[in-house]
Amino acid sequence: MYDMFQALLQAPSYHLFFEALLIIWIFKLLFFSKAYAPESVLTEKEKEELIAEWQPEPLAPEIPDDHPVLMAMENNIITGKPGKYVTINGKSCVNMATLNFLGMAGNPSVEAEAIKTLKKYGVGSCGPRGFYGTMDVHLELEDKIAKFMNCEEAILYAFGFATIASAIPAYSKRGDVIFADEGVCFAIQKGLVASRSKIKWFKHNDMEDLERLLIEQAKEDKKNPKKAKVTRRFLVVEGLYINYGDLCPLPKLVELKWKYKVRLFLEESLSFGILGSNGKGVTEHYNISPDDIDLIAASLENAIGSTGGFCCGKKYIVDHQRLSGLGYCFSASLPPMLATAAIESLRLIDEKPGMLVELRENCEKIHSKLSDINGTVIVGEPISPVKHIRLAEPSTDRDFDVQTLQKIADLSRDNKVAVTLARYLEEEEHKLPLPSIRISVNNQLSDEEIDTVFTTLSEAFQKIITH
Amino acid sequence: ITMNIGTATSEENPTHSYLGSRGIWITYVLILLITHFMLLTIPFFSVAVAWTLTNVVHCVITYFMLHVTKGTPWGTPEQGKARTQTQWEQIDFGQQFTPTKKFLTVVPVAIFFLASFYTKYDTTHFCINLIALGFSVIPKLPQLHGVRIFNINKW
Repeated sequence: MYDMFQALLQAPSYHLFFEALLIIWIFKLLFFSKAYAPESVLTEKEKEELIAEWQPEPLAPEIPDDHPVLMAMENNIITGKPGKYVTINGKSCVNMATLNFLGMAGNPSVEAEAIKTLKKYGVGSCGPRGFYGTMDVHLELEDKIAKFMNCEEAILYAFGFATIASAIPAYSKRGDVIFADEGVCFAIQKGLVASRSKIKWFKHNDMEDLERLLIEQAKEDKKNPKKAKVTRRFLVVEGLYINYGDLCPLPKLVELKWKYKVRLFLEESLSFGILGSNGKGVTEHYNISPDDIDLIAASLENAIGSTGGFCCGKKYIVDHQRLSGLGYCFSASLPPMLATAAIESLRLIDEKPGMLVELRENCEKIHSKLSDINGTVIVGEPISPVKHIRLAEPSTDRDFDVQTLQKIADLSRDNKVAVTLARYLEEEEHKLPLPSIRISVNNQLSDEEIDTVFTTLSEAFQKIITH
Repeated sequence: ITMNIGTATSEENPTHSYLGSRGIWITYVLILLITHFMLLTIPFFSVAVAWTLTNVVHCVITYFMLHVTKGTPWGTPEQGKARTQTQWEQIDFGQQFTPTKKFLTVVPVAIFFLASFYTKYDTTHFCINLIALGFSVIPKLPQLHGVRIFNINKW
């Protein structure tokens, strides 16, 4: 210690001088500096300039007045019930537009049941399933659906779009992998986005592409087995694709599912109540047990003619959605009269499976007739109730094609056949399909009506295309 | 003082106050002392080298923690104002001459004094310690609040 102090006395003067300055500075810092917040860098004048310069962005984007959807809404005002015939602007047209495949919307016995329930329960359920919104009719419908589909349990949603969009993110989270078909509908696409998982798209109905992706995933899993152990893998397909009208190759999908150990989610909005000899959907159509499918989701808004949707499967899978299905927990439950309407529709399908045979025959008749229209391509299976009519020679401009098809649809509506274009949110679809007129077949069409539809459509196409 | 983030009753950004929280100054000094003692135990270092090394290590670590790292490891409810701010600029919401900032400015100076004493005012050591002091103290001056020289570390 002594030599330390000796060194202090012999220290170089610049060093001591510097230390003295430091001491003074520290003293000033500690005792003579008040805390203050720094003022902003801009002067008043600059602030005024910035405020004057600012151009607010419009709250809503500018839309041209002749946007096709706006025109469609203004020109097609419907009065009365949209059953087999729909009254547009006072004219009664054959309804080939709404997805009322079995005529359940407007069916008198379904309506009678709904009115009975309306008188008993009122209109709305006024609560989510967890907050006094569960009524016996909901439980009865879930039970009936589970029995109908030969599954252990079913869960009911109040909005068809939200069904699959809530089911996917309930199981698949960030870090999981989902193999999805490119042609899936918008609801599934939103569910995939909400899940935040890694999405691997495979070409529509292309099983080789899917197998290639599965093999790639298997290779990656081998490289990192620890990570692979905690990654869930899902396969999301639709039974009958609404954008393309074709079936998924379910036997091959089930084979791939067991081979590569992925969970299969099947969305049956367009095949529930339509395919299969008893209306049980694409699993019955291919004679595959629903035990092979991990989750079947469907909307009750198409063939069943009610609203809402359901998911069914094994109890331990479906029960998870009672707390994790966001559309289930955080939305009001299905209005009871629509639940009983759905129960009645299911009962009618059970009682009269002949409806399905009629529907299938009508689909096939219309398919063969519409294939004869010149200048068009029919997209869809013969037994699909939804068919797309596309232009055989599309132009390079999508808007122009949409306008052409819209003129054809308007002309055919003026001639008493109501058809619609398939509408998409063009900026938001993953793979925007080509513009088309979407025909939906129902089982109540007679042969004469089918002939009328064919003649009107082919004349409309003839007139507009050759124009 | 609770340091919840992301809940309804949470701190907006704990960075502003954690360096003034209970016991942190003592912890800071203790860590410094322990580092110094560990350096002293290494047989090849003389006392002078150990002190200079403590000064330099302290400078490097605090420079990196306070003046290089920006933003927060968690999401903040204010719209990302803190994303481009170093930790020093976030302390006490950018106020100058608060007690925490005064303490953090005094510590490097105190280390400089002690290091100069124990290195017997040797010139080489003085230069190294001066550079370390410069890096420790100059970024803490209020004139350099928000300043990025040559746009290094701007975003």
